[in-house]
Amino acid sequence: MSLRDSAIVAYAETKVMDMSDRDVWVLDAEILESLLVKTGIEKAEIDGLVLAGLTSTGAGNVFWAQTTADQLGLEVDFCEQVHIGGCSAAGSVARAAMAIDAGLCNIAFLLFADTGRRENNTTERSYRREWIEPYGLMGPPGAFGLLSKRYESQFGLDYEMLGKLAVTQRNHAVMNENACEKLRKPITIDDYMNSRMIADPIRLLDCVMPADGAAGLIMMSKAMAKKKGLTKTVIPIGYGERTNYGGAMNLVDTSLSGHQAAGAKALKQAGIGIKDVASFHPYDDFIIAIMLQYENFGFCKQGQGCDFIRDNDLSFSGNLPLNTGGGQISAGQAACSSHNLIESVRQLMGEGGKRQMKNIKNALNTGIGWINYGRNWGTSAALVLVPGE
Amino acid sequence: MNKETRPLNDTLSLKREIRSYGFAKPFWDGTRDKKVVIQYCKSAKKFQHFPRPTSIFTGRMGDVEWREISGKGEIFSYTVTYRGTDRFRAVEPYAVACVTFEGAGVNHIANMVNCKEEDLKVGMKVKPFWMPLEDGTNLLMFQPDN
Repeated sequence: MSLRDSAIVAYAETKVMDMSDRDVWVLDAEILESLLVKTGIEKAEIDGLVLAGLTSTGAGNVFWAQTTADQLGLEVDFCEQVHIGGCSAAGSVARAAMAIDAGLCNIAFLLFADTGRRENNTTERSYRREWIEPYGLMGPPGAFGLLSKRYESQFGLDYEMLGKLAVTQRNHAVMNENACEKLRKPITIDDYMNSRMIADPIRLLDCVMPADGAAGLIMMSKAMAKKKGLTKTVIPIGYGERTNYGGAMNLVDTSLSGHQAAGAKALKQAGIGIKDVASFHPYDDFIIAIMLQYENFGFCKQGQGCDFIRDNDLSFSGNLPLNTGGGQISAGQAACSSHNLIESVRQLMGEGGKRQMKNIKNALNTGIGWINYGRNWGTSAALVLVPGE
Repeated sequence: MNKETRPLNDTLSLKREIRSYGFAKPFWDGTRDKKVVIQYCKSAKKFQHFPRPTSIFTGRMGDVEWREISGKGEIFSYTVTYRGTDRFRAVEPYAVACVTFEGAGVNHIANMVNCKEEDLKVGMKVKPFWMPLEDGTNLLMFQPDN
């Protein structure tokens, strides 16, 4: 199987910054250099470049991937930009593995860099212009406000359990030196409950904070990693993605998402069941998205997310660790939303430091990309990782 | 407490400008006469909304026709915005509801007016409220249908 024949041999990450003091291309260069030093490979050996498409700075240039290759002096046989929003990081791993397996390239540099706070070149052309802007529904917080109220009416919603997720992730961010400094302060469930309403019932501490930063991975075939003596590796063994879940339906249950299908596919390919998942690194743009993923991946039944949160220890030392780097909500939403992926790789390489998880048998990483009209989100992705032997 | 106690703003003081993509013209034309006109797929025998360039059921453009509906419905979900975007920054708090049109089974998102926050609930019956726009069309909003 192609996916598991490839290996992630190194990761790199800048600190998450409230606003970058350096240009995005300087961050690119820092990630490249860090990966070259870590792996001992020469720059000229890199023959694949895979960029995440979720870039506000790069949105001003339709030639972004080529421009980036040029800035870094990379001559490559495979040049790709992955455009599935917040699923782009996980999606890049799958696409790089495909390219390596197909012989399109041998050593892929996956680059996740964005400085949207420093320089945002986004102009959005979507349904929002005609159907949302006239009503002032505030982007993602508004959409998640609608989604949350609907869930509450369907199943009830214990907001203190959402608070538990916020607190768990924040504790992890306090232990993560790469998390945005502004967010590295402990919070309590009361702080969560009393935080300012943005789009009722979405509170300030439900929301992710856009930030700047960069990260990257080097991928190659397992065989090449072995030949190069790169023994510390992480192997992708299962991947699934679904874009526009329910796209040909006129009305959908907003508590259901493409994660059901993407998760089942990834786990089947990995040859494990949901109960075998050792740690969970879900995409987190809003706290309730984490709860919905517990349900849609099948950790618990639909409508029982809050009970599941209550009954499990989700800290790094608990029975099902959650986003041990703090998640995006407590580390800052930076580096094309690759934060939780990079943290999974770090943990499986045993480099989690004082927040190192004990059980690194595997990690389930996920993506959520784009917000659609009155539903939940556009793309759902799932990626199962295991440590190399 | 984190909730503000100010009454809901109907946002009608804010001038609206619609930047349309064009292919939803029958919807906007309908609003001139305060009619809700939305897309219907003849093959699937289902409504779809917001307006698309083709049938989301069959992918055939010729399957799409436009039908008038009552515009009444019930609240599928809602949110009260305390932090508005852009020009809406001045008119918080205001309510936005996602409403399922009766007899059509599709949702429309719009401001909810003539309503107190404590009265808002999922399942609440609503009817159209039309906000006049400068070009003679009207912006569809919702109000309680008592």
